[in-house]
Amino acid sequence: MSGRHSPPRRPRTRCGRCRDKAVIELRRHSVAFCKDCFLHYCRQQVTKAIDKYHMLAPGDRILVAVSGGKDSLALWDLLLGLGYQVDGLYLGLGIGGYSERSGQACQAFADARGARLVTHDLAAEHGFAIPEAAAAARAPGGGRSTCGVCGLSKRYVFNSSALAGGYDVVATGHNLDDEAAVLFGNTLHWDTGAMARQFPLLEATRPGLVKKVKPLYRLAERETAAYCVLTGIDYVIEECPLVAGNTQLRYKATLDELEEQTPGTKHEFLFGFLDKAAHLLEAADDATLTACTRCGMVTQQPADPDEAPVCAFCRTKGRLSTRSLPLVEAASG
Amino acid sequence: MLVTAQLRPPGKTIEVADAHRVGDLLARLEVKPSTVLVIRDGELLTDADELRDGDKVEVRFAISGGAAP
Repeated sequence: MSGRHSPPRRPRTRCGRCRDKAVIELRRHSVAFCKDCFLHYCRQQVTKAIDKYHMLAPGDRILVAVSGGKDSLALWDLLLGLGYQVDGLYLGLGIGGYSERSGQACQAFADARGARLVTHDLAAEHGFAIPEAAAAARAPGGGRSTCGVCGLSKRYVFNSSALAGGYDVVATGHNLDDEAAVLFGNTLHWDTGAMARQFPLLEATRPGLVKKVKPLYRLAERETAAYCVLTGIDYVIEECPLVAGNTQLRYKATLDELEEQTPGTKHEFLFGFLDKAAHLLEAADDATLTACTRCGMVTQQPADPDEAPVCAFCRTKGRLSTRSLPLVEAASG
Repeated sequence: MLVTAQLRPPGKTIEVADAHRVGDLLARLEVKPSTVLVIRDGELLTDADELRDGDKVEVRFAISGGAAP
């Protein structure tokens, strides 16, 4: 019997596929799912992404870049579940306790599944850690942002590690929200070169590059988090202590406002770009590539023909290793 | 009725009175439903699910930022 202040009874939300009790609503699809049907949906979306862009082939050796967060661990789990041969790659960024917990989450995930985790450490192998980049970004003269150096370092190590290990593909956990936010930023700045490269698949167009794929681009990050909760994946929930002020977070917040009013906005924005506009921008990707004179990895040819090509990672590494800066407090986290 | 909500991250705990459904709770917390998962005893809840007096729920933010792997 309802009490005096009880709200009127409302039927429980039902699964749109099997009519069982739903555990999650996906407003952008106007549907709700029970646990089993939601997990089926996630596998279906990843399979659709892989098939649409021919991301992976049977027998490919895949290296999935893992951070200990929901997206990358969900991706590793999904690819293993779909029968792919996938090892994990974790890069220690030196962000104190946060990095320690992130590495532990990746190792625990790998151990529980008998999977192989390849680990690298930025400070041990390259002489700087991300807190030093944060300090440098705040010092006079600034330079690349903390998240900028972090992303650059990850891309460099993922590519070089995959090459050294003989992997065919590097898979990353970029989700629909990540890709929509990046596209939003690229559009605001009309960075057509970056837009031309913003595909769920980047082929290895020359020796020294490994194919990159983003099989989660069809799943929102709330969906990858739900996948982890429902499958018992113990991911790192805390945010990176150095993320404050991150531009991509501001773009995400703006897109979230639009999404709240009109569910499906991010989906339409990203998928519309990929289906209707991206091919129009192919010519904008006019970067001429060459080999870095310091490390031999692929980099852009400088505009000045007399300038020796040095990749962005080597330039950053050189800049950070010659500075003497106090580490930010987050390093003790 | 009183519901205890733990917001993660950052791990802040808030008590909310008279939130009879998950949707009511999120509205009171001024949290966008599309950005969070609500978890009770390890189970995901939808906006329409009823809450009970004394419930302890986790409101887990699913948004992450920075440099994705």
